[in-house]
Amino acid sequence: MASKYRLGIDAGGTFTDFVFSDNEGNIRLFKSTSTPDDGTQAIDAGLQQISAAVGRSVADILADTDLCINGTTIALNALIQFKGVKVGLICTAGHEDSIEIRLGHKEDGHRYDAKYPPARMLVPRYLRAPVRERIRSDGKVHIALHEEDVRAACELFRREAVQAVVISFVWSVLDRSHEHRAAEIAREMLPGVFLSIGSEVFPQMREYTRTSTAILNGYLGPVLQGYVSGIDAYMRKRGLRTPVQYFQSNGGMATGRAMAQKAVYAVNSGPASAPQAGLYFAKPLGIDNIITVDMGGTSFDITLTQGGRTNISKNIDFLRYRIGVPMIQVETLGAGGGSIAWIDKSGLLLVGPQSAGAVPGPACYGRGGREPTVTDANVVLGYLHPKYLLRGRLKLDHQAAVDAIQARVAGPFDMTVDAAAYGIFRIVNNNMVGGMRRVSIERGHDPRDFALVGAGGAGPLHITALAAEMGIRQVLVPKLASGLCAFGQIISDVKYNYMSACPMRLDERADFSAIRDLYASMERDANDALRAEGFADADIGIERSMDLRYVGQVHECTVELGSMEISAATFPEIRARLDRLHKQLFTYDEPESLAEVVNIESTVFGRVPKLNPPRYAQGGADASAAKDHERAVVFAFDGGIRRVPTPIYDGAKMLAGNVVTGPAVIEEETTSIVVEPGWVAKLDPYGTYVLTRT
Amino acid sequence: MSRHVDRITLSVVRGVLETTQREMTLTLEKTARSSVFNTAHDYSNAIFDHRAEMILQGQDIPIHLGSLMPAMKAVAGFFGDDLHEGDVIYHNDPRYMGSHILDCCMYNPVFYRGELVFWTVCKGHVTDIGGPVPAGYNPDAKDLYAEGLHIPPVKLWDRGKERKDVVNFMLSNMRARRDQEGDLRAQYGAVKVGERNLIALLDKYGVRTVRDCIDELMDMADRQMRALIGSLPDGVYEDSALVEDAGHGYGDLEIKARVEIRGDTCKIAIDSPPQIPYFINSYAGNSVSGVYLGLMMFAQVDPPYNEGLYRCVELDLGPKGTLCNAVEPAPSVNCTTTPMETLADAVRKALEKAAPDRAVASWGHANGVNIAGRDNRNNEEYVSMILASIISGAGATGFMDGWHACGPQCCFGALTSGDIEVLEHSYPIIIHRYSLMTDSGGAGKYRGGSGTVWEVEPLDHEMTVITFGEGRRFPALGAAGAHSELNDAKVGRLVVHTAAGEKVYRDNVVITIKPGERAANHNPGGGGYGDPFERSVECVADDVRNGIVSVIGARAEYGVVMKPGTLTPDEEATTRLRSEHAAA
Repeated sequence: MASKYRLGIDAGGTFTDFVFSDNEGNIRLFKSTSTPDDGTQAIDAGLQQISAAVGRSVADILADTDLCINGTTIALNALIQFKGVKVGLICTAGHEDSIEIRLGHKEDGHRYDAKYPPARMLVPRYLRAPVRERIRSDGKVHIALHEEDVRAACELFRREAVQAVVISFVWSVLDRSHEHRAAEIAREMLPGVFLSIGSEVFPQMREYTRTSTAILNGYLGPVLQGYVSGIDAYMRKRGLRTPVQYFQSNGGMATGRAMAQKAVYAVNSGPASAPQAGLYFAKPLGIDNIITVDMGGTSFDITLTQGGRTNISKNIDFLRYRIGVPMIQVETLGAGGGSIAWIDKSGLLLVGPQSAGAVPGPACYGRGGREPTVTDANVVLGYLHPKYLLRGRLKLDHQAAVDAIQARVAGPFDMTVDAAAYGIFRIVNNNMVGGMRRVSIERGHDPRDFALVGAGGAGPLHITALAAEMGIRQVLVPKLASGLCAFGQIISDVKYNYMSACPMRLDERADFSAIRDLYASMERDANDALRAEGFADADIGIERSMDLRYVGQVHECTVELGSMEISAATFPEIRARLDRLHKQLFTYDEPESLAEVVNIESTVFGRVPKLNPPRYAQGGADASAAKDHERAVVFAFDGGIRRVPTPIYDGAKMLAGNVVTGPAVIEEETTSIVVEPGWVAKLDPYGTYVLTRT
Repeated sequence: MSRHVDRITLSVVRGVLETTQREMTLTLEKTARSSVFNTAHDYSNAIFDHRAEMILQGQDIPIHLGSLMPAMKAVAGFFGDDLHEGDVIYHNDPRYMGSHILDCCMYNPVFYRGELVFWTVCKGHVTDIGGPVPAGYNPDAKDLYAEGLHIPPVKLWDRGKERKDVVNFMLSNMRARRDQEGDLRAQYGAVKVGERNLIALLDKYGVRTVRDCIDELMDMADRQMRALIGSLPDGVYEDSALVEDAGHGYGDLEIKARVEIRGDTCKIAIDSPPQIPYFINSYAGNSVSGVYLGLMMFAQVDPPYNEGLYRCVELDLGPKGTLCNAVEPAPSVNCTTTPMETLADAVRKALEKAAPDRAVASWGHANGVNIAGRDNRNNEEYVSMILASIISGAGATGFMDGWHACGPQCCFGALTSGDIEVLEHSYPIIIHRYSLMTDSGGAGKYRGGSGTVWEVEPLDHEMTVITFGEGRRFPALGAAGAHSELNDAKVGRLVVHTAAGEKVYRDNVVITIKPGERAANHNPGGGGYGDPFERSVECVADDVRNGIVSVIGARAEYGVVMKPGTLTPDEEATTRLRSEHAAA
């Protein structure tokens, strides 16, 4: 961890972001257009930019780079667009439908909705192969494994050209032998097929959660494997000496090999680093309640952090699929700069979820896109420069934006292009506000208690409008906003989650040595992996937790134990933490009731040295030296929208302490900050624009 | 907005109320001992204001929530001004607007600066309430006294002090006491979590603002329902539905609904046969739920859901002493499913006559099992309703197929059946099958959802299996011209496999099975929508490939002929069969 550079790469649906830091505290942001078919092309383009900026060859730079981290939306996009692979499921006979029955539940919020469709099956029923076998709840074999059923399933899968096989049996967490034998048969009969095994992916009680998690893992695994091996090979070839680290949905990093086997940990890899990055910029201002919103080309991601802690979800429905493994809570919508505006059958204007992506992209990119997008609206409204983006590297065709909005919206609605563009802007904002409400208000958080952190290339364009709608009076936009997630990655630790079922009563007479052994075996692997990755023992940390409950309950409280040793001596403290947590969560406790352990978990992390925050030159309140030009920009006033002359500031010339009063636009290299009338922006010494409502 | 409430504050207050209700639900689920509470969601939480009006009904079990409105008023009225900070009231009695005695309800008055401001309320289906048959469903009970313990409104906590003698008296009348006691604590946790959140809300915004917001939310719901009813042509609309005879010998019983639309109000009048000495009578409180469920299936309005929704609706449940307006001593333990689902069907069908384009098919009715026996692992008695055994198919709508495995109608997707490993961990059983069933969904242009089969075997002990409900002879009602041929595949039944062979039960029974024997409870599918011969051939072929429809069913119900030995439709034969059908 002593090399010269760190590089974070965040491959989004439209742009790939690069955050590059040296050990003198210089942090730079670069962007290239994403290349969904082969991610390495976008990386190549980014590396060329870095090479030009640093004045060294790509090979030299990579040889001096220690952490090259890749956050990717590849798994997420594959799930959203149903572009995972064809999966076959081998399961206990009689239980082939648990993933379709979904516990017999229809999601809250749709109770009386006659149009809400069921979740689409990732494994259709004809590819769910029943196998006669059964382990009982006491771990004993009730029905031996019928290997001929496994073979018949593999034959079916061969005929159907299945690319991933998921094996998940009832109670496999208590006896893995049936799953392991079935896996041997599958390996033998279907060489090269991707295998995802319930008791390995999610070794905890609950068949539905385990099977569903293993299915997502199988559905996405080969997609991620292809991606990771492409990136790894490319980076090695270009001269990187350490393995590429990939960012996981749990907020930590992992090597590509580990990641591809546990693809379900990557499902929300990209946006999960936003809270860490947001806090990094908020903390110097004494703020630890933040909502981050990251608007890129394709999607809009929201996280909420209160008191410096971001919620972790386990056993939740993510995009309607049950996932057991821990993930940073992120709400994602199909709303981005590339989101297409369209008129539905009933004549309503809608925006998204379809995106023009990078190709053809918004109409104004001039790459053949004919559909009007949010970016086209932002160009027409004057929020974006009419001629180019990215300091001129991306030319814009203003007229194409006007034409697309005229043809698809303004014409059919018989309104002006400005009015149509502003309509698109308002509708996409309204969609985003709905998502922000779900994260905050609907979970009982008053958004007015939070600062809003604007991120992504498109986020700062909308940020003051969104804040006003939510009643939020303080907004933070780091200069690195458009690469916030890539930045979050280079300041994150390497992190591996391990878990194990451990059903036993927990009292003075419990077999503490057995629990210790379980922890030790889980943590040994992680320690070895981290040492091999170059972490010194002093930089390896452990956070243990136990899922505990009172005997007779079936849901657990996750009791955090830090690095506490598990023994008869620490038992009273563990027990007291359960009672305390139960009381805190549910208003009462049962100190006299017997407790039991269900699962144990350990998160092992390798600490990455923290970056020194960047510092910006100090100036006075007067920002006039940074003023670049004026252009007519559309804003809403009482009585309607008006195009008004608006000062445009060059972000590169802004000094810490400079104050800009809205209406104004501040153009950073990779984003523009729209300061609506009624807002004031001030640049702080760490490169964060602090916007407040007057 | 007439009241001085800004939109953001209104949204926040609404969000806090909804979150509070969800957190109450979560508390009950996470802390409870019985599987009915901790996995199956057979409970409902609601928040009432100082006037005992429901201000948030949440998304829990529809059949609980309607009856909570009159029940809350009955309980508040019973104590009058004898209500104090720290009181907690319990109640299950249908004579005081309770639903059935298994639904035990806790009422927690919330005081703020000495003033009664809210009630947090938690109603849940306990796994036993005493009486001769474990789990409470006694098909032989001729009156309510033979069913179990009736609890009129009673204080379990008095000014913050638990009345241990009363709690002990109650628990002493219930089987599996340890579970019941744990569940009672869980309900206490739920209402107190609700209280904690509401007091934080009042601390932040003050009573005045919060009340203004609540009044506005009630008005919003009222406006929404009035807008819908106002859009219907004035007039009188009538329809009826049949409750099947599930073993009582009184024959199939017809429930009639008469809906009178006038401007933006409506009057719903029910006419049902005289009450019978069998456990399917419904007292007034419970019948309110059935009528409101039919109304909501028809209205499909968006939240907020609160008592404002029903301001424009006047109810007449018919003469006292009838099936849907029963009086002492009618037995009623089965009432939350039968006749409730049929009552909802009758109301909905009458409303649909005013707006045929809003028609939807019925969901499978509840037909389930309770189990009881001795758990040798801890030498304790166990008893539970198994909600996994009642998961039926949803009805199709004019927009799409019915969901598989989402019913029964009385719960409308709010249940969760629970993970089978959790159930096997909780009870000494092995669940051999929990799956969808071929041909169970009603045929239609849009197909009804598949029902489920739940098959159980006891480990190392004899187990009592108690069935309840109906839907074992009449399939779920279709809509818009849907019709099915393979009707026996679409109804429920209990099939018991023993060494002597297979026995099928279509009545409500109490039986015993041993290790090596299996009881399989089949649940009905949902009703279909529209002419099945108009369903796309591709959809039918897809259903056949996935085993949702059989080859025989494809031909008989949809006019789709599959090429022999393949999963490919024979287009020529299909076209011929379908045009013959059209000509006929």
